[in-house]
Amino acid sequence: MKRLPGVVHPVAWWLWAIGMAVAASFTTNPLLLLILIGVSCFVVVLRRGSAPWSRSLRVYLLLGLAIVVVRVFFRCFLGAAGGGPVLLDLPRIPLPQWAAGITLLGPVRLSDLLAGLYDGLHLAGMVVCVGAANSLANPKRLLKVVPISLYDIGTVVVVAVSVFPQLADSIGRVRRAQRLRPAREGRWHVVRRTIVPVVADALDRSLLLAAAMDSRGYGRRAATSARTRTLVSVVTVAGLIAVCIGVFGMLDDQAPLLFRAPAFVTGLLLAAGGLVFSSSERTVTRYRPDAFDLRSAAVAASGLAAGALMLVATRQAPAHLSTPVEPAQWPVVDLLPLVAAMIGVLAAVVSPRPVLHEEVTA
Amino acid sequence: MRPAAGSTAPERPADQGRPTDLVTRLQGTAVPLGLRSAIVLTLVSIAGLAMFCWPLLTHHGPSNTGHVTDAPIIFAVTLPLLVLVVLAEFADGGMDSKALAMLGVLSAVDAALRPVGGGTGGVETVFFLLILAGRVFGPGFGFVLGCTSLFASALLTAGVGPWLPFQMLCSAWIGMGAGLLPRRVRGAREVVMLIGYGVLAAYLFGLLMNLFNWPFLAGTDIAGHANLAFVPGDSLWSNLHRFLIYTLVTSTGGWDTGRAITNAVAIALLGRPVLTLLRRAARRASYDPVRT
Repeated sequence: MKRLPGVVHPVAWWLWAIGMAVAASFTTNPLLLLILIGVSCFVVVLRRGSAPWSRSLRVYLLLGLAIVVVRVFFRCFLGAAGGGPVLLDLPRIPLPQWAAGITLLGPVRLSDLLAGLYDGLHLAGMVVCVGAANSLANPKRLLKVVPISLYDIGTVVVVAVSVFPQLADSIGRVRRAQRLRPAREGRWHVVRRTIVPVVADALDRSLLLAAAMDSRGYGRRAATSARTRTLVSVVTVAGLIAVCIGVFGMLDDQAPLLFRAPAFVTGLLLAAGGLVFSSSERTVTRYRPDAFDLRSAAVAASGLAAGALMLVATRQAPAHLSTPVEPAQWPVVDLLPLVAAMIGVLAAVVSPRPVLHEEVTA
Repeated sequence: MRPAAGSTAPERPADQGRPTDLVTRLQGTAVPLGLRSAIVLTLVSIAGLAMFCWPLLTHHGPSNTGHVTDAPIIFAVTLPLLVLVVLAEFADGGMDSKALAMLGVLSAVDAALRPVGGGTGGVETVFFLLILAGRVFGPGFGFVLGCTSLFASALLTAGVGPWLPFQMLCSAWIGMGAGLLPRRVRGAREVVMLIGYGVLAAYLFGLLMNLFNWPFLAGTDIAGHANLAFVPGDSLWSNLHRFLIYTLVTSTGGWDTGRAITNAVAIALLGRPVLTLLRRAARRASYDPVRT
């Protein structure tokens, strides 16, 4: 059996990205954050495939930019109260009493601008790092590793991801059929005459798909014993009740200690246990499972190392992880955080070159 | 496979003075909503709502704000697990291959509709199909479709992030609510009812998602120059007041109203034909009452 060439396990890409995002979460130093964002983009551009989800990096970058802009806007124009030199002297506009005494505008100072910029960059860094995984990991292969109790839901998403490209085809056929008939004018009429046949086509396809799945024996399984089912329900419901208590307990100072974090964690463990246990009597065979080989492990390790090193840096060299805004200083980067921010780039070195669609069809 | 809870319903004769109501016959069979699923769903909804509303629910002294910075991260990590528990519960409750294929295909259509609006100016095209499908196939189906369509569209376009589980839960509630609307209403009144629900859902979705991103975007204000920001340790009323101003200033005028108009226009124009299509598909999918 021949393995697909050049495939890094999707979980490895997610571990890498989560490690990078964790690293970004520990610092508000703009230089470190820009390095982390740059490393993520570098790896994505080198290692992404040609699937629809691979083109999402630009959207994530725009989203990060939007976060920075919104954060700076809030900080500067909705009642700025920082210090430092005044950059823009705007008049203060107090709102009436019903608006909780909020003031708009007012003089914009340097520390407001910088604090908004750093905070926004902090969030944007995490968003771009997670977005990198979305561009790199194949969701269909990722969904193959979900636990068996979520197998059906995973199948739904795989069906959705696989049907998605066929919709464009379907739209093309509908438009071609329309051009053969005299069409009434009007924009809304066109929308209706496109969407309705496309949805109808999709629904027909779903029935065909269901018939195909049935004929191949999809979803046949032995009946679960009544005892197991009762046990799973009791464990799950008990766990969820504990989670509910724990959520409210954690938000309340006055709650008994037992009803706070312990209840929350116990509840989560019980609920997760129910998930695992409900699948214990079901076996599903996987066709050509992805191997978590040495290259995948190296990819994951490089990302996780970024997070771990940054965590060490918060203990060993915390001096320049956050840049003071009042008085404003030029951000300084120490050696350890710099290594932590850069180590993620190793993923591009250890992972194989992606197989692009054009090369496969050629 | 074990027979689903309501699959004997289609046998009921059409003798109650009106033709057999397909939706009544189908009630809950697309994704059965049994007692166990309902309990799990309620518990997760309570916990999920608390995770949305945590800035309003905290009772911390002004000195003790340590938890406040942890809470959003802890909740963003745990909410996916809770959503998965409900979904596994629904799947375990007997989703057959037809429901599964229907969910997958409708999720794909929804994911394809999403970039049409692109979310610019609040033009969100995801919800109208979700509402119509929830209406036809029942609350359980609506809940699962809300989760899977948002998840699939997040994978296909861009949108995986800490906000995703919150969006999934929100739209799952919207789909479930559409399934719980009174079933007897038919014809033009049905479309009017769904338009009203679409408008309401658009504003509620905006409110809840604002509540989720409020501490992130407006900032958590510990220093004390309270403006629109969330102030930990402040009373419920003053934080709620500040939040309502925040949401009024930032989104009610633009995004939420845009979303409401999109929902209303889409349901008004496409509601009738798409409802007919979905009902026809439901009829064809349930032609044999004995499911093996």
